[in-house]
Amino acid sequence: MRPALLTREVSEGLRRNVTMTVAMVLTTAVTLMSVGAGLLVLRTIDDISALYTDRLEIQVALTADVSGSDPDCTGPTCASLQAALQAAPGVGAVSFESQDEAYTRFRELFAGQSVADVARPQSLPATLRVTLTDQEAGAAAATAAVEGRPGVRGVIDQRDVVGTLFDFLDGVRNVAFALAVVQALAAVLLISNTVQVSAFTRRTEVGVMRLVGATRWTTQLPFLVEAAIAGALGGALAGTGLVAAKYAVVDDLLAAIGQAGVVPPVRLGDVLVVSALLVPAGAVVAGITGYATLRAYVKV
Amino acid sequence: MIELRDVTKRYPASGRPALDKISATVDAGEFVFLIGPSGSGKSTLLRLLLREDVPTAGSIRVDGLDVAKLARRKVPKLRQRIGCVFQDFRLLPKRTVAGNVAFALEVLGRKRSEIDAAVPELLEMVGLQGKAERMPHELSGGEQQRVAIARASVNRPPLLLADEPTGNLDPETSRGIMQVLERINRGGTTVLMATHEDSIVDAMRRRVIELGDGAVLRDEARAVYGVGR
Repeated sequence: MRPALLTREVSEGLRRNVTMTVAMVLTTAVTLMSVGAGLLVLRTIDDISALYTDRLEIQVALTADVSGSDPDCTGPTCASLQAALQAAPGVGAVSFESQDEAYTRFRELFAGQSVADVARPQSLPATLRVTLTDQEAGAAAATAAVEGRPGVRGVIDQRDVVGTLFDFLDGVRNVAFALAVVQALAAVLLISNTVQVSAFTRRTEVGVMRLVGATRWTTQLPFLVEAAIAGALGGALAGTGLVAAKYAVVDDLLAAIGQAGVVPPVRLGDVLVVSALLVPAGAVVAGITGYATLRAYVKV
Repeated sequence: MIELRDVTKRYPASGRPALDKISATVDAGEFVFLIGPSGSGKSTLLRLLLREDVPTAGSIRVDGLDVAKLARRKVPKLRQRIGCVFQDFRLLPKRTVAGNVAFALEVLGRKRSEIDAAVPELLEMVGLQGKAERMPHELSGGEQQRVAIARASVNRPPLLLADEPTGNLDPETSRGIMQVLERINRGGTTVLMATHEDSIVDAMRRRVIELGDGAVLRDEARAVYGVGR
């Protein structure tokens, strides 16, 4: 089929069917945006895992009397806790942070905020900080070694904090993909419908093509190209939407939860890669749907 | 050009076959009328020749191709050898007269230069010179049918099928159309025309194949529509 004829047929088809085509582009765009968002969340989860894998600690907060009376962990209670932690398997270093050190860090962390002025050294616990050589087993062993013992106010496993974050991100990802599946179904049906309407509005042309002996390929190609173009437009729109969403919503949101870099920002490079993938993905999905529709429903 | 041997076509829903062991041969260059009342099997036969449908039994050869056994991807080859004209013209309303004729060659991937040479020639042959840039709705019914004939012939098919080509036209206009078909036939194209208009058949005095209830009732050279009608 000659390019000039193909171009003419396709542009006529797209113009004749403009409302359906727009609906198809938008639905495809929303679908692909959900897919893209899901992929980016996956990427972010990977980033966060990498970021925290060897940084997570167990923090053993000491009770107020031990914190106040033992500024360098030489007292029996504190020393035995430190020894017990050190002896636990999977544990790296155990360091002591006194009330005063905690206070200094607290003031740095909240510098310029009124809470920094209100706080007193006595209101902060001294802490034994435990780094882990084996994340899973070490955390469990360290916790078991000291939990409930005298002088221990509480054990904070940082993985629990990050775990909540992971759960949240997993949820976002699942919602994005679930939405994508439902949307994809709607998009595929809409594409199929658009192709059928398109074939119906051009039944005279198609009839003449068949009659004069045009090949099946010649007859079908305009419809497939139309669908693929609309799909690609949907993909491009979805990509643009993702970039816009990064700047308009996601960056601010992550900055808010991710004070002090808890959550790494979504990188523009990743967004662009995903967006670039959405364009051919849209074209291919629409093309395949169109082909299946023509085979199943339309005598072309 | 056409060779039918014991062609039978049954549709699942009806008991009586639409065509019942039809045999006939049409040589290259003949002009043949296919007559008979509605439901006699004319349309079924044309559909089988075009491979819109396959016969239940029997064999059909068109221009050397075994139509019934033709692989689906070779069907376009068959249709390129058959020109087709219908009662309802089937022109593309948004294309000019020349555009309609050119379309038949465009979709076959012909070169622009070839198309530009062939289209005016065909328009002249059907008597539409000077109307190349008109739109179909600006033409009379007779003129529209001439465009359809030009489109059917532009690829120089050896066989032209015409299904009630004058069915929508008044007698005077119909005569004009018949002259065009005769001209095409004189150029060597085999013409098979389904009709039930006795005046046309009687005026032309060509071979007549009459179908009735799916069977060949009559096959006569230089015949008339029939007595007692």
